[in-house]
Amino acid sequence: MREHFSSGLWITEISCENNQQPIINLIYKSMKKNYDCSSLPDFSWQKLLLTMKISTLLFFCGITNLIAGTTYSQNTKISLNMKDASIESVLNKIEEESEFYFLFNQKLIDVERKVDIAAHKEPIKNVLHEIFGDEVKIVVYDRQIILTKSDKSATAAAMQQQTITGKVTDEKGEPIPGVSVIIKGKTNGTVTDVNGNYTLELPADAKILVFSYIGTISQEVVIASQTIINITLIEAAVGLNEVIVVGYGTVRKSDLTGSVSSVKSAQLVAFPTSGAVQALQGRAAGVQITANNGDPGGSLNVRVRGGTSINASSDPLYVVDGFIGGIIPQPEDIESLEVLKDASATAIYGSRASNGVILITTKKGSKGKAVIEYNSSYSSQSEINRIDMLNGAQYTEMTKEAFPLYVSAGQETDWQDEIFRKGGIQTHQLSISGGTDLVNYYMSGSFFDQKGIILGSSFNRYSVTSNINMNATERLKIGVNIFGQRSTTGGVNTQEISGGANEAGVVGSALRFMPDQGIYKADGITYATAAMGDPIDNPYVIINENTNNTVNDRLQGNFSAEYNLAKGLSFRTILGVSTTNIRNGRYASSLTVAGKDKGISSIGANKNTNVASENYLTYNTTFATVHKFGLMGGYSHSSYRNESWFAGSNTQITDAFSYWNLGGGSITAIPASGLVEGQQTSFFGRLNYGYSDKYLFTFTSRYDGSSNFSKNHKWAFFPSGALAWNMKNEGFLKDVSAISQLKWRVSYGVVGNQAIAPFQTLARLTNAYSIVNGLVVNAVRPFSVVNDDLKWESTAQIDVGADFGFFNNRLNLTADYYKMITSDLLFPVPLPNYSGYQTQTKNIGKIENKGFELTLSGKILTRELKWNIDFNIASNRKKVLELPGHKDILYKSSPGHLVSLGNSQILREGEPVGSFYGYIYDGVYQTGDTFLPGSGFEQVAGGEKYRDINGKKDANGVLTGEPDGLLNADDQTIVGNPLPKFFYGFNNELSWKDFDLSIFIQGTQGNEILSYTLLELETLGKPINSTTNALDRWTPTNTNTNVPKKTAARSERVSSRWIYDGSYMRLKNIVLGYNMPKQFLQKFKIQKVRLYVSAQNILTITKYPGFDPEVNYRGAGSTLNQGLDYASYPNAKSFTVGLNIGL
Amino acid sequence: MKKIMKKIIINLLAIVLMSGLWGCTKLDENPVGLLDPDGFFKTKKDVQAAVYGINGALAHESLFGRAYLTTLMLRDDMSDIGNRSTALDRINVNDFAVNSTNGLINQIWTQFYVVISCANNAEAGAKSLGLADSEINPLIAEARFGRAFSYFHLVRVFGDLSYIDFAVADPESVKTISRTKEADVYKSIIADLEFAKQWLPDKQTSDSRTRPSKGTAASYLASVYLTLKDYPKAYTEAKYVIDNKALFGYELAPDYQNLYNAATANVLKETIYAIDFLGVQNQFSYNDDLMATMTAAQPWFNKSGFDVIVPSLKVYESFNTLDYRKKVSFDTVYAGVYYTNWVAFAKRPHIAKWSRFPGNNTNGRYTDHNYPDMRYAEVLLIAAEAIGENTGSNTEAEGYVNQVRARARNAAGVMGTYPADVPGGLDKTSFINLVLEERRIELAFEWKRWFDIKRRNLGDAVFKGANSLEPHANFDASRDYLFPIPKTELDVNPNLGPQNTGY
Repeated sequence: MREHFSSGLWITEISCENNQQPIINLIYKSMKKNYDCSSLPDFSWQKLLLTMKISTLLFFCGITNLIAGTTYSQNTKISLNMKDASIESVLNKIEEESEFYFLFNQKLIDVERKVDIAAHKEPIKNVLHEIFGDEVKIVVYDRQIILTKSDKSATAAAMQQQTITGKVTDEKGEPIPGVSVIIKGKTNGTVTDVNGNYTLELPADAKILVFSYIGTISQEVVIASQTIINITLIEAAVGLNEVIVVGYGTVRKSDLTGSVSSVKSAQLVAFPTSGAVQALQGRAAGVQITANNGDPGGSLNVRVRGGTSINASSDPLYVVDGFIGGIIPQPEDIESLEVLKDASATAIYGSRASNGVILITTKKGSKGKAVIEYNSSYSSQSEINRIDMLNGAQYTEMTKEAFPLYVSAGQETDWQDEIFRKGGIQTHQLSISGGTDLVNYYMSGSFFDQKGIILGSSFNRYSVTSNINMNATERLKIGVNIFGQRSTTGGVNTQEISGGANEAGVVGSALRFMPDQGIYKADGITYATAAMGDPIDNPYVIINENTNNTVNDRLQGNFSAEYNLAKGLSFRTILGVSTTNIRNGRYASSLTVAGKDKGISSIGANKNTNVASENYLTYNTTFATVHKFGLMGGYSHSSYRNESWFAGSNTQITDAFSYWNLGGGSITAIPASGLVEGQQTSFFGRLNYGYSDKYLFTFTSRYDGSSNFSKNHKWAFFPSGALAWNMKNEGFLKDVSAISQLKWRVSYGVVGNQAIAPFQTLARLTNAYSIVNGLVVNAVRPFSVVNDDLKWESTAQIDVGADFGFFNNRLNLTADYYKMITSDLLFPVPLPNYSGYQTQTKNIGKIENKGFELTLSGKILTRELKWNIDFNIASNRKKVLELPGHKDILYKSSPGHLVSLGNSQILREGEPVGSFYGYIYDGVYQTGDTFLPGSGFEQVAGGEKYRDINGKKDANGVLTGEPDGLLNADDQTIVGNPLPKFFYGFNNELSWKDFDLSIFIQGTQGNEILSYTLLELETLGKPINSTTNALDRWTPTNTNTNVPKKTAARSERVSSRWIYDGSYMRLKNIVLGYNMPKQFLQKFKIQKVRLYVSAQNILTITKYPGFDPEVNYRGAGSTLNQGLDYASYPNAKSFTVGLNIGL
Repeated sequence: MKKIMKKIIINLLAIVLMSGLWGCTKLDENPVGLLDPDGFFKTKKDVQAAVYGINGALAHESLFGRAYLTTLMLRDDMSDIGNRSTALDRINVNDFAVNSTNGLINQIWTQFYVVISCANNAEAGAKSLGLADSEINPLIAEARFGRAFSYFHLVRVFGDLSYIDFAVADPESVKTISRTKEADVYKSIIADLEFAKQWLPDKQTSDSRTRPSKGTAASYLASVYLTLKDYPKAYTEAKYVIDNKALFGYELAPDYQNLYNAATANVLKETIYAIDFLGVQNQFSYNDDLMATMTAAQPWFNKSGFDVIVPSLKVYESFNTLDYRKKVSFDTVYAGVYYTNWVAFAKRPHIAKWSRFPGNNTNGRYTDHNYPDMRYAEVLLIAAEAIGENTGSNTEAEGYVNQVRARARNAAGVMGTYPADVPGGLDKTSFINLVLEERRIELAFEWKRWFDIKRRNLGDAVFKGANSLEPHANFDASRDYLFPIPKTELDVNPNLGPQNTGY
């Protein structure tokens, strides 16, 4: 079969793996004599073939966005002039001259016979009739011409046959057209019609019927005396013919040599999420996704196999419909999402691939009548947890122990009550899809609206998508995807990063603000601010007197064209343009501490434009039937441009202006603007070779040139190779029926991380903010030195994997082991500061990620009660191999206002990346203890006791690791590891009659959390509120405790006391759905109505005492700061009701 | 064949059209909005911009915005820690428990060298223009003053220094240098200041006191010589300033309080050199000053105080109750509440100089203060001290102190009786001690005291003596007069070793 599929797919045969004998043999290429064509296609075979082709085509079209329709027809006219030519050569000639090709059985059709033929622009059918006469029946379908013996010769054999009929349906009771129904051991068979019905004449000795259909488990049924056999086909757990999208193409799952996780649309829309990335959580092995906080519209941290960088981004590359860096559409519009994990899969993306690649394929229409779907859901949300805090009286009592003159305001306020509310989400989506032979379309509009669980927080999003594909000519296919979205985030200030002592986020304030104060002071008018300590606003003020709005407009157009140059050879081009406009406005009113008496307003915007052009050729061919080749090669060019500007002013005439009248402020803030741009050019290619479906080989490479790279390293080359062995296709396993699939894979490659910010390699002066005589003057200062040798980070990765399928693929297991070593890591290498420059980014350093991944999926129960499971688990070990000068790198990650905290995280060779660094807490000093001296350390009963572990120096002044009887900075050590031992997702789908139930569990194990929240609340050194843990503080009468006394003379200090087990197991989603009966719906001409109720995050098993173990303070975009918690917006638990309607 | 050729051509055309439209392989960077050092210096205006980089770099949170001043103040016997839950780095500086990883030390070292790199860059740029001396030397002088000013501070804090007086294009090239001896650093400082004195104008444009003039250079020369105990030269330079005060536009401000009122201080003729900050604005630690908040009580009513730098009660008591400067220097009452009833970390009078009148910003951060590093009163006291050392007290010397005292008697227009004029006939030591005490009171909380303790070797007396205002039993004169070189610097360049004694 010479059908070529656009996206690099190899299809040289239509195969239904589970029905090896008759069907595989049936398919053959017309003119090749070495095909075994022993089974004779009688009339019913021909029909089968035809229908098979149609259904197969449709099947693949749905996935690969091919337009199945064709303009070829029986009326195509050809000219021929041949004398004394064998029929074979005539047919050959026709194949050459036209797009037609022939299917026939050589034993039935005599192609040796010599004929004379002279035709001038005659319809093909006439020409063939002239050759064959009535002997042969000619059926033209698409470009295939099927030749069979005419009915006349077949009727005799059918004389004694009995007839059997039936209907084939899927698990939902929908009829399946195109199912092949074959008599076992015979060549007779048929296919089901559009209503799933079939009729088959049986020869006397027929015993067993075999039903098979692509993507389902084939079934054998004993005929006995039945005349009606109805059957339900079950979807194969992992269809071997499932098509997986890979970079610049697609590949059959069975031909895959790399490590790729695929997540389908149903899983992405299992519950309402603010984005596709969130929906991916727990669905793909080796992909760890953590909410940085629960802020509506907040960001997520995505790590594929651990993340390969330290100072550069470890975020994966997103590719949307072939557009690198495209905007991620909302989950409802996504058909599938593929995560490319190993180098074999990712190397085609070269210098941007080292953190994995996430390919997103949007939904397309398929041929047929318009399908209209409406999906809607409503969720009610509340905070997942609260922290038990002291009440006003308890707080007052405690505070007086340190500040005897403290006078309580005498009120009782539970500040968590003041900030939390019932939140909610509503989603609506309407989509229409369909198509004709020439055009297919998918259009969708959706609306997502979230009211956050903290007062004042909100997020909403409007999106419109349209995907149109057409066959412009018989060789040219055109696709256009237009996507537009507006999202609005109504923010409250939650994340406190570098804010000073007078700034507090709403959650931080709700925890630490004095509970003995109210919203207002005694006068009932003036807002209460902190009576002592850092002068922060109370939470009510933070919510109501601050504005922080972000409006994000995204627009993307993606144009693709595919031109079929010759058989097997096609050229594809993609042009993508996207712009993102982000506008942020902030206002702190004159009633806040920060904006005291003046109001601070600002507005800033950011405009990001990406343009990418991808152009590549794909060629697929097969030699001698067993050598399959696929070649792909291309060129791409992309550019991006980021424009930003900012303005602000203070001292507004009135708070009513908010940030909409900056001219109304009497003091103008320093305006800012900036432009960053870059370009990249790439050449890439892939070679696939497969031998006999047993041995598969893939070689991929990319050659990237980037403007960001330094002068001496403008171009980078990234190769990878992979081997796979389909052991199942070996003779010795062919007949082992328990094993339906067994494939071994190994790959090795080098991929990169661009990591270098634009202009980073250039020597620069910078403008310096300088005041002379009270006026801003033009000033410059040296800023950076030239670096002609800076280059990308490279990751060498080996992956060994295996795919198992058992019992007709009812049970599937994929296992992978990988090891990645990232070298040339970018580090700000310290320069001698006396040079005037502090650091220079250099390629020094190595880290390693290695781990296991396991994905198990199965159909446990398949009868009336069905139970499918999907389980994935991954472990990743990430450690530092080499640092600049082999010296530890210490860094700070605490919120800015906790000024006494210094460096609390460390990079040390041989240790996990981002280990927590601090003192070892040994409880509380008791009266009579020997107090260890040390500046800033307590030496009193009830004070904190830390362990002296180091400080003694040898003759050369080098630390010996022995105690010196003194507490100081030398006594810090690694006290925790933020990285999990393993993380997992477990999905259960059950269905019974019209009901379905899905239970999704997700979790991590073995990671530790450094809680700055609890550190702040339980140090008991500042006049702020504490958790109820403080009730157990040391007092002269309560000495048996490890909570120190309340004092005014204690600095916050990172220690083992604040390291907690962050393991958790979470019931992420549970859904109960009901499908209204078809018969009932048909009366209203409705295809489908599904109602469901679901709940998210309702159960979390964890030992972590903070709000939520799924937390990642400062995690946005960072690899260094994992496992931190500070007063983050907590995740919500929700209850959802939803409705899906299909027309 | 023809047909095939045609097919090929069409196909090729299609490819070229489709890919060629968007193809391009130019990968050079063209950073609009950023400055390339090559070819930046074209005119004097560019040099001026490079010189102004010095002003910006000094007005940084690491230096005169907070860290440096905090370090010097906590180190002396005038200011103690008020809030012992504050940053450990601060507590360690105050308690003489500093080690080479102390963040404040690091900040000071690093940022002063940023200032120096600005100066070196400006000087190199100025020289590259090839203009006549008279044209360009005033700008070079301004740059060299900035360099001398920075090294003068650094050398007193760290002792021997890595000394760089040229623009560094490749930091690797200076990675193995060793430290220059203190004495040689001083020689270079003096050379720079002499050059500055020669070429700087008598007055800067708009009589700016945040740019150096001839008088500024001379004043710092006086201070340098005083530090070096070269009292004759200290006297000569101070005398030069005093004699030319009209030319330079120097005079004592009539009301001591006005020196610490951001609304009035910035135009006073008493200021010889100050670091310029503009209220409300900041840019990533540039133009970011927090001395008001560092010294005020927490919470500073309706403002933000951190309670960090708070004198001991003895310091407060060491001021004469009749001294107007005591009222100006301390706050004892906030919003009608006397300090003994404060619910603050430190129930002690707090420093008022920087928090009472911060100008435009009521928050206490990003105030309008210009932080004076040299004022005319100090020049008078330098002259007096130098005379005391050179010849013993005389009327000239007494006269200088009396000028300062007379001004102190002016309590917002009401002439008081305290402090009285210096009694005549004091012996040399008594007079010198009187001048030092006058400096302690007059320049209180202006980060001068620590250097006085150091240059006069007073540590044991003021921290361990019977009359210590702020006792620190662990003060170690062999160690604590210098801070350690930051560990990170020694790590990068071991040739900077050995580390200062005791660290």
